[in-house]
Amino acid sequence: MKPFLGMPPQLTRLALTTVVIVTLFFTARTLLVPSSFGQYGHYRGDALREIAAREPYWAGRGACNDCHADHVKKVAAAEHKGLSCEDCHGPSRAHVENPEVKLPKMAFGQCVRCHEASPSRPAWLHQINSHNHYTGQGCTECHAPHQPNEVP
Amino acid sequence: MTQNLSRRGLLRTLGGLALGAACVSAARASKAAVQKGLASSGAPKEYDPTKHRWQMAFDVDRCIGCGLCVEACKAENSVPENSFRTWIERYVVTKPEPGGGDNRGETFVDSPDGGIHGFPPSLIPKEEVLKSFFVPKLCNQCENSPCAQVCPVGATFEAPDGVVLVDRNYCIGCGFCIQACPYGCRFFNETTHTADKCTLCYHRITRGLRPACVEICPSGARIFGDLKNTTPDDPISQFFQKNKVEGLKPHLGTRPRTVYAGLDMEVR
Repeated sequence: MKPFLGMPPQLTRLALTTVVIVTLFFTARTLLVPSSFGQYGHYRGDALREIAAREPYWAGRGACNDCHADHVKKVAAAEHKGLSCEDCHGPSRAHVENPEVKLPKMAFGQCVRCHEASPSRPAWLHQINSHNHYTGQGCTECHAPHQPNEVP
Repeated sequence: MTQNLSRRGLLRTLGGLALGAACVSAARASKAAVQKGLASSGAPKEYDPTKHRWQMAFDVDRCIGCGLCVEACKAENSVPENSFRTWIERYVVTKPEPGGGDNRGETFVDSPDGGIHGFPPSLIPKEEVLKSFFVPKLCNQCENSPCAQVCPVGATFEAPDGVVLVDRNYCIGCGFCIQACPYGCRFFNETTHTADKCTLCYHRITRGLRPACVEICPSGARIFGDLKNTTPDDPISQFFQKNKVEGLKPHLGTRPRTVYAGLDMEVR
């Protein structure tokens, strides 16, 4: 090997090898590191977008208000104002996308899920003992779910 | 170079160069294709994580233990059976022995199926109960996350909007983070074979919706908001105005971002 810049041949070889290894390292790094790495920190920025890409399951109260504003307003004025429509009516996404898809009627037993008496439940909650509170009658025979306090 | 360039030598050099160039372009093309496939199309485009700071808070006195949040979370995030991203615990504190000098007896905690079907009556007789209450739990989104610290491949990280997330494409499922979490908020997802946890419904909050558990909670026990939201009626700023709050296990230095109001000393 011809001496390069007056260096002995073993140094020239060493310098060449170093240049090759450094070039290979940076080439491999460019190829292997995802392009969004380091966008927000020491991780892939695209991971955020991938996690966010999932489709929501519950439609949310805003979606109900678009068509049923009258009902939403009525509920918001009564005791059940904190409830989401989907608490009783079930997941509504299919219905929001296509109003022809009807939601199932409110299932019996949904009321006691929240209102069955329990010593662990906070005192502010209206609680009943379902085995001695007008047994044999459906809850909605007396209570209107949208205005539960208006009992005849 | 003093050697003469032979035909064989020239061909070899040219062949090597061509092969190298082909390798580089193939690798570039496959990398681009993989990244295109990964960056899924359904993600909300206009969302900027640096402009939000999400905060979850619990009002323990409002939780009625109905379990609707657990059910909503399972459906929203396809959480496998026997695993929970959020769950409810029932605390039952018994009365102290009369004249024994204690302010309370024993504490019993249970969470049958995470509370997804509500809670059957407690086995402890009503007369012996000093007090009883429900505590909802989920990922505390720690600022100093033990789970992110132990991950050997950097698959868990804290996003700029304050949510601790798992990159499923990088997670190797070793389970270090599941052991590291002092709150028991992580689990191994048998379907994806990765570590899994609450994302605060990242796919909902980036679309302007609230997390499924907050949306479904009928009693207002879960409060969620954006600390970078400047509107004064933001639920989370109102919550911080009205309540004295604390995080779980503050002595561990994890700095949990999820806070509780009305917490009892027995809750860990």
